[in-house]
Amino acid sequence: MLSKTFLCICASFLLTLPALAQEEGELAIDFSGIELTRGDTITLSDYRGRVVFVDFWASWCLPCLVSLPAYEKIRNELGTEQFEIIAINVDENTEDGLEFLEDNPVSYPVIADPEGEIGIPYKVRSLPVSYLIDQQGEVVASYRSFSPGDEVELKRQIQSLFLP
Amino acid sequence: MKTVMKTILISLSLFVLQMASTSSSFAATCSCAGVPLLSAMDTSSTQPGDLYLNYSTEIHEMSDLVQGSDEIRDETGLSRSSVSQVISASYGLADKWTVSGLISYIEHERSVGISAFSKNSSSGLGDGVLLLRYTPFYITPFSRHELSFGAGARLPIGKDDDGGLFTLSEDMQPSSGSVGEIYWSSYSYAFNQAATVQFNVSANYTINDDENSRKYVFGDEINFALGISQNIGSKFAYSAGLRYRQTTADERNSFEIPNTGGKWLDFVPGVQYIFNDKLSVGVSGRVPLVRDLDGVLQFTTSYSYAVNLSYAF
Repeated sequence: MLSKTFLCICASFLLTLPALAQEEGELAIDFSGIELTRGDTITLSDYRGRVVFVDFWASWCLPCLVSLPAYEKIRNELGTEQFEIIAINVDENTEDGLEFLEDNPVSYPVIADPEGEIGIPYKVRSLPVSYLIDQQGEVVASYRSFSPGDEVELKRQIQSLFLP
Repeated sequence: MKTVMKTILISLSLFVLQMASTSSSFAATCSCAGVPLLSAMDTSSTQPGDLYLNYSTEIHEMSDLVQGSDEIRDETGLSRSSVSQVISASYGLADKWTVSGLISYIEHERSVGISAFSKNSSSGLGDGVLLLRYTPFYITPFSRHELSFGAGARLPIGKDDDGGLFTLSEDMQPSSGSVGEIYWSSYSYAFNQAATVQFNVSANYTINDDENSRKYVFGDEINFALGISQNIGSKFAYSAGLRYRQTTADERNSFEIPNTGGKWLDFVPGVQYIFNDKLSVGVSGRVPLVRDLDGVLQFTTSYSYAVNLSYAF
């Protein structure tokens, strides 16, 4: 039957199972970065009191072609009094991200993160990935990928967090 | 004269092989009948909470008669094939931990000539595999490398004594009837940030020191594969690779079974159609390039092809 070596390896695997990464219900990891087009510093915690949607994207990410304009539409419809979007561009070459924004302009702040200083702590493994953060800075939902029509449910979730 | 002797020798060998296939007291004819279950398992790292399901069916034709590295003309018209249907699942336990499992349903068929009495077949649940994998680093937009290690077991879920009055040989049984230890590792490199072009190398080692109910022990098996894959647009992907497989001789009561074990080098091409980020369908094949088989004669893989369907929850 199974050897002792094999069973020891399996046991050590199970004993060292680490805790999950940042989950819904946890405080969002704070970050700062320079806004790509305007050059001002953007810090997540400065948006406490508003609902924030943090979106990681890149110019080579095909669903991002659809998601960025959809998020822009949501922001235009909901306004920025209670809500803001912060986009994190992870292109290795930031110029690629800027070119993408020329063709797909957005009015919300975009931060460049080519080295993963924000993306790695957020455990970004594939794109697009985004987080919905409430007024207290708590992650209330996370989203992977994007399909046309997803923005309807997203808008509803954002509005449900708004204060009366 | 030499040709006549060779024909007689081959025919005699085939007669012995055919006899062996109908009685448990004879050896299995070759270890090549082992269905390559691990190749049907999706071994890419899985994000925490994600569940991937994969169904694959592989048609495996094993009618090449080989002496060492040389293919010999088969005078008997022997036909040997297997069809495996495998359902596998992978679940992301935590950030770097994935558990994978599979179950298989196997159909074997062997016939010599056109006589109805010379046909043997078996079918049923085959072996299962359970594998726990640790991925210390994986491909992300910020990392081009992925490394995984795993350990697991091959479990005899199905029957290994099919055949009724004359129990079929081990290579014709749906299940091995024994537990095997599996050690597995894989490394991938992404050539671009989008990871649309990747190089992959993987190795796995199966230790078979457990004997089944008929005191039969399959040979240990090493697989080593390397290949490249590329996504073309958002809908298509292709892959091409080489797979080296080596098995040691099978044993019964600690005696080596003749004409088992060997080395194989196969070309493994594949194409995939991606419906969306959840569903994809793929077709892959296995074409022998080089083989060096132990013993006098073995029937071995002519070709195989597989169709698989993957769904991500």
